[in-house]
Formats: sequence, structure tokens, C-alpha cells
Amino acid sequence: MPTVTLSGVGRHFGALKAVDSVDLAIKHGEFVTLLGPSGCGKTTTLRMVAGLERNDTGSIAIGGRMVSDAASELFVPPDHRKLGMVFQSYAIWPHMTVFDNVAYPLSVRHVAKAEIKAKVTAALKLVEMEAYAERPAPALSGGQQQRVAIARALVFEPEVLLLDEPLSNLDARLRAQMGDEFRALQRRLKITTLYVTHDQEEAMALSDRVVVMDKGKALQVGAPEDVYRRPASRAVAAFFGTPNFIEAKVTACRANGTDHVLTIEGAGTEGDCRAGDAYRPGDAVLVMIRPEDVTLGAAGHLSWAGTVVDGVFRGPRRTLTVESTVGGQARRFTVECPATRAASVGDAVTLSVESDNAWALRS
Amino acid sequence: MLVLAFLTVYPMAMLLYGSLHSTPPGMAGEYNFDGYASLATAENLQALINTAALSLVKTVLSLALAILLAWIVARTDTPGRGVLEILITLPFFIPPILTATAWAMLGNAQVGTINLAWRWLTGTDGTLVDVYSYGGIVWHMMQYSTPFIFLFVVDAFRAMDPSLEESSRMSGATRWQTFWRITFGLMLPVTTSAFILSFIRGMESFESAVFFGTPVGIKVLTTQIFDMITQRAQPDYQGATAMGFATMALMFLLLVLQSRLLRGRSFTTVTGKAYAPSVTRLGGLRWVTFSICVLFFALAVALPVGQLILSSFFQFFGFYQLDMLTFEHYRSVWENREFWTAFGNTLLLGFLGATATMILGGIVAYITTRTAWHGRRLIDILAWLPWMMPGMVLGIGFLWGFATLPHEIPIYGTLWALLLAYVALGTPVAVRVTSGAYAQIARDIEECSRVHGANWWQTMGRILVALAWPAFAVGWVLIFFGIMRELSASILLYVPDTTVLSVVMLKLWNSGKPETVSVIGLVMLAMVLLFRWVQLRFIKRRISTL
Repeated sequence: MPTVTLSGVGRHFGALKAVDSVDLAIKHGEFVTLLGPSGCGKTTTLRMVAGLERNDTGSIAIGGRMVSDAASELFVPPDHRKLGMVFQSYAIWPHMTVFDNVAYPLSVRHVAKAEIKAKVTAALKLVEMEAYAERPAPALSGGQQQRVAIARALVFEPEVLLLDEPLSNLDARLRAQMGDEFRALQRRLKITTLYVTHDQEEAMALSDRVVVMDKGKALQVGAPEDVYRRPASRAVAAFFGTPNFIEAKVTACRANGTDHVLTIEGAGTEGDCRAGDAYRPGDAVLVMIRPEDVTLGAAGHLSWAGTVVDGVFRGPRRTLTVESTVGGQARRFTVECPATRAASVGDAVTLSVESDNAWALRS
Repeated sequence: MLVLAFLTVYPMAMLLYGSLHSTPPGMAGEYNFDGYASLATAENLQALINTAALSLVKTVLSLALAILLAWIVARTDTPGRGVLEILITLPFFIPPILTATAWAMLGNAQVGTINLAWRWLTGTDGTLVDVYSYGGIVWHMMQYSTPFIFLFVVDAFRAMDPSLEESSRMSGATRWQTFWRITFGLMLPVTTSAFILSFIRGMESFESAVFFGTPVGIKVLTTQIFDMITQRAQPDYQGATAMGFATMALMFLLLVLQSRLLRGRSFTTVTGKAYAPSVTRLGGLRWVTFSICVLFFALAVALPVGQLILSSFFQFFGFYQLDMLTFEHYRSVWENREFWTAFGNTLLLGFLGATATMILGGIVAYITTRTAWHGRRLIDILAWLPWMMPGMVLGIGFLWGFATLPHEIPIYGTLWALLLAYVALGTPVAVRVTSGAYAQIARDIEECSRVHGANWWQTMGRILVALAWPAFAVGWVLIFFGIMRELSASILLYVPDTTVLSVVMLKLWNSGKPETVSVIGLVMLAMVLLFRWVQLRFIKRRISTL
């Protein structure tokens, strides 16, 4: 079964740990995304799986076969790993036609001519590029090059598909379209996929699981919704959007399924919120509230009175900045509300949040 | 425009005129085709075959060697690659006449240093090498053309997007398959273009053949022309000119061939992005590749320079005994008036010529790349014309040209003659270097300056020239080097007062004073090294264009 397993994988450049002991197990047919800011080590991790770079620590196994183990100096070169890869620049060879580009992985393996023809045609059909087979590669647009790159990566039916920011060179509209197409294709072929991006929305829309990386470390691994709604740390929470953080004190804690419900005070309000871990009364916590979970007016579980100091119209929604006095100090909340909610600067408003939408982190 | 036409079209037209004119320049005569008729001899056919064959062999060998060296320097973990690159490209800047004299002393069958050392080592009286042969000519031309091709291909190796090769490995190709099908495939256009340029340069080459071919009767086109004009009791100007025109036509055909071959096949793998090229780890083999580079440097630079130093201190080269040590040659050069005249002329022509050429080239490049003027294609072609004229042929063209000018414009016999020839020869290089630099400067940068209130002149000075000056400096130095090593046009246009160093060297060599030639050679070498050092130290830009 084509699974990918990384255990303790690291890559060091002198004292700098570009990738610091990453563990990850990708199941068969799963779509996993490495997400993080540039320089976080996500591309280096992908390149180590590809065999384009050697890992300095740990081991990598693909489909149960060990392909790289730093301890025993085992290293299988990239051409023997049976992978497909799409590069950020697409790396379409400019001296070949579209057909030759896609046929390349087969022809270097000495596949018979007739079979190459059939498989390349099928691969091009898959990405709806069969009409362009005889075009010289430089005569393609960005979106077309990307399709050719995908066809080339899929043509010899690799065990695992690797993608290095394949959508980042496309414009916004094409990016969304190609992303959807790509997700549908991956589901249909059930191909194990490791994807690298710095775009949080892209990561959440495409993946089964997301690995949030920063400074060479994997901060959290989980389904997109989990990572978004139940982040393990402030760094992960702050990576998606601009959440509000409020310091508070725990007064009570009780278990609720796998989660815990905390009763908090001291943040200008009192009430319940959720947390992943158990806390003791008196513990300090940081409560994360997503801007879109704040409602105006209606009394919710946690609520604050404040004044609108700024409003930005963004088409479908409106971003408000609301100032509230908490414990003698001015505190600003970012609030996302429907654009039709007309709250103008200077209005007095009440902010409220359901306790399910407030997530406590260790401060 | 007029200047360009005078520098390029005029000598070409005069070449045609001269080839049909039965008497030497400046004399009344009749017009006929005798010049062309006289070309059809077995000797000239042999010379043509020699020229083509020698150039082909040396180009193939240089290309293979240059690609190997470029790969070693750009794509392997061979130790000391930065220094090796400077050493490998050094022979390109050394005047060929200098290595020619040195190798004539190293590889002389009877008294060459290599053969002396060989006999002393083995105790036999055999001969290891003889540079007065086809092999000698090829080897000498290679010393210049290998770094020439190297400079062309090394950046193609270096600037290639590494993901093009990585994606090949990911597709299941081995290292070897990747090299042939991707790396080499991508470099084919630049390799072809380097091949043809080097082949043309080989056909135009004069020094190698006049040193190592003429004494043993190996004739090539350039030495035939030289021979007809200077070495005969009755100079055959018409025949020589006809031959020059025919040679030029041949070069023209080759250039047409080149542009045909390369049409639509110039892949921009160099996207201006800075890539960190993937480096092949060689393990223990890296010392082998290191040795290959050092060996090339040793043979192409260290050995010839060592020979020059050696022979400059001995009474007669070939007789290396302690009691023959002397400073006599240095003193004689110091006291030689002709040497000082030539030294002054070379420097003056170098500075003026390089400056004038760069100004002309800068203007031409600006017109062709930045304006929408209708004549810009024509100007571009005009500036390219000298590329297909060997120095020797351009020399004859100017000879005719100056002789037919009215007497009120006395150019022949003055430094102006040489200056004009040098500017004409250097213009294609200057245009290429500067237009490459202009092309890298986005038009927005210029427009932005205009929008923010700078007028056209301010924009030129503070934006365009300020950004392009490294290219100007590189081009200036290249042309200065070109002028310093120029021999084939100079030898036709000089008079005693306007002699230059390369001409003095050839004359002294032919009159049997190799030791004095060594001293002058060392002076020239010191100048080359000084300029090269200045260039590397202060102009840290790559010479990617030529």
C-alpha cells in the first residue's frame, strides 16, 4: 500500500535546523498538506521525500519500503522512488513538445512506443489537454503548463504524488478553478498525495489533513476544521486569519466528551468556553475568538459592550474594529459581520460569542 | 549612422572595388576579373581546405573540452572552483601572439624546451612534440577558443532552472539520461551558437598559422592574403583583395547558416532569477576533475609564461647554462625606440579605441533596443557587419578606402587608420554587451523616472547609464584586450610611426630575436594581468555576453 512514513526526519544547514525532527504518517489515498510561512521547512521536507535532498536525521519509508535512513546511510535516488512530482515552476522542458514532455517518464523506462502513445493520450485527456499534444512547450499559458505538469506526474501511475506550491504562479480565479479540479482528480484516482503551500485557504479546501509547520517543526497535524477551530497553540491559531485573544482566569473546569468546558472570569465578562486540556481553577488562559464568530447585539454567552472605531466594507462582509474597556484598559476586537449590518463609526454596540466558539489556550 | 556606414559599408564596398581594380590602391588602372580568376589555383584550394579542416578540428576539440570544464566549474563540488574559473578563462585575455612565440620556443622539434627536457629525462634523442605542424596549429588555436566557448556555456550551465533537471530525475530518469536528454538538450542552442562563432573565429585566425604553418608550408586563407600583399616582390593587391572578398562571402554564408539553425530554438532557460544550481557530489573523483582544470591552466598559461620568463634571461633560448644568464634583453628593449613608440601607441589606441567603441556601441544599442525608429534594423545589421570580416580582410578594405580618399583627408599612415579599424572591429562586441544590459533594464524603470519629473537626459544619465555602467566597463575592458591582441589588421595598416606592440613582436620574431620578443611578451602579459585584475576586482559582473 502506498503510504508515506516520516520518522524523526531532519535537515540541518550548519547550526540552522531547516527541518527539525518531523514525524508524519500518510495513509493510502490520503491528501496531506504541509502548510506554513516561507522558510518554515515545508519545501525541504517535500524534497527529502522526493529524494532531491538527503535527510540528516530520521528515516523515510514509501509504500512500506525504506527509501532513506540517515542512521544506516541508506539513500534511494529519486529515479528509483516511483514518485510523481509537480514543481512550483512546472519545470516543463522547453525543448520538447507537450507530448514528449508527458511521454518522458515512460520513455526513460523504455516502455514500448504503442503503449506510450496510449498512456500519454489518456493522461492528456485526464487534464483536458489532448488537443495540445503537438504544441511546443513554450507556447503554453500558465494554467496549461500546470495541466501538462500534472499529466506528466501521473502518466506512469506513481505510488505517491508530490506537489510543490503548484497553484502559486496562477492568478486568483484560475487558482480556485485548478484547485477544485485537482481535488476531484485526486479523489477519483485515490492517489496518495503530499502537497506544499503557504496559502491557508488552499490548504483547507484541498486536504484531508493539514500539517502546520513553523521554523522547521510540525506544530500540529489534523483535519482542516480541527486545526482551524481547535488549534494547539497560539502560533497555529494566529496562522489562520486575525483572531482575537483575551486573557482570562479559570474558575471551574469540567470534562465534556473529549473536550473540557472552562468557566472563566476577569476578561470583562464571565462565562464558559471550550479547551482541549484540563485546567485547574486559578490557571491563566488565552481565549481565542475568531472574528466571524462574534455577533453584534444579541446577548450570547460571553459579551462585551463597546464602541465602533473603524469599519471596512469588503463586499460580502464588513470588518469592524470595536473598542471595549476591559478592567480599566481599552481593548480592540476585530469583528467580521455581514456587510448589510450597518454599524457606523461611533455607534455603541454589544459583542457576544457562543461558548462553543471560544477556545482556550495555555497562556 | 554615417559613422557606422563609414566604418563598415565603406571598407566592404572598397573591397569589392579593389578586387576588380587591376593596380595597387591609389593608382589608375582598369577594371577586370583577373583577381578572382587568379584565385582558382590548386594552392588556394589547398589553403581553403586547410583553413576549414583546421578550424573544424580545433572547434570540435575545444567544444568538448570547454563543456567538460564548464560542467566541472558550474555543477560539481570540485575544490577551488571560483579560482579555477578565473584561471581557465585567463588564456582568452592573453594575446595569441604571446602564446604563439612561447610555444614556438617550447615545442620546436630541435631546441624546444619540452623536447630538451624529454631527451634529458629519457636519455634518448627523440622528439616529443613538434608545434610546426597541423597539430601545433590546432593546439595553439585551442588555447584561445576553449576559454572562449567556456565563457559561452558556463553561464548556461549555471543559470539553468534546477527544477528542469530535478523533474527529470523524479520522472525516473538516471543521472546520465538526465544529462543527455535534458541538460544537453536545453544547452543545444547555446552550444551550436558557440560552435559556429568559434568556427568562424578559427577561419579568421592569423597568428597560429603564420607562426606554425608558414615555416613548414601549411597555408591558410589569412596567411595567403598576407603573403600576397607583403611577402612578394610585386604585391598582388588585386588577388589579395579578391580573396578577402571571397572569404567575407564565405563568413556571410556561415552566419546565415547559424541563424537558420537557431531560428526559434533559443529557449530562455535563463530567466533572470538567481538559481542555486544543483551540484553533483563527485567524492574522490573531484580531485581528478580538479587536476583536469589545473592541467589546462598549466598547459595554456603557466608553461608558455614560464618559457617567456626563461628565455628572457638567457643569451640564446635553447641553451640554458648558468654562464648564459643575462639582463641584456631587458636593456635592449628598454633602449629600443621602436618598442617605446609601439608601447605608447598601443596604450593610446587601447584607451581611445575602447572608449570610442563603447560610446558608439552604446548609442547603436540604445537606438536598436529602445526606440521605434524605422532605420533601427538597418543600424543593427550595419553594426554586425564587421563580425564576418576577419581583421585581415577589414584591413585590406580600409587600405583601399584610405588610399582613395581625397588628399585633404590624410588618414593612411596616421594613428587614425588603426583607430578606425579597431573601432569597426570592436563595434559588434560593444553593441552586444550594451544591448544585453539595456534589455535587462525594464522599460518601467525609465518611464517611472520620467513620470517623477526627470527629463530625457536626466533619465539617461541617472537611470540608464547608472544601471548599465558595469556592462559598459566590462565591454570597455573586452575591447581594450581586443585592441591589444589585434595583429592581422594592424600589420596591413601600420607605418613605422604608428607601429603597435603585436606588430613589433612579429617583426622581431621574424628577424630572429625570440629573446627580445619574450621580454616584450612579458610586458604585454603584465598589462593583461593588471587589467584583468582590475576587471575582476572592481567589476564583479559576469561576462555573460561574449
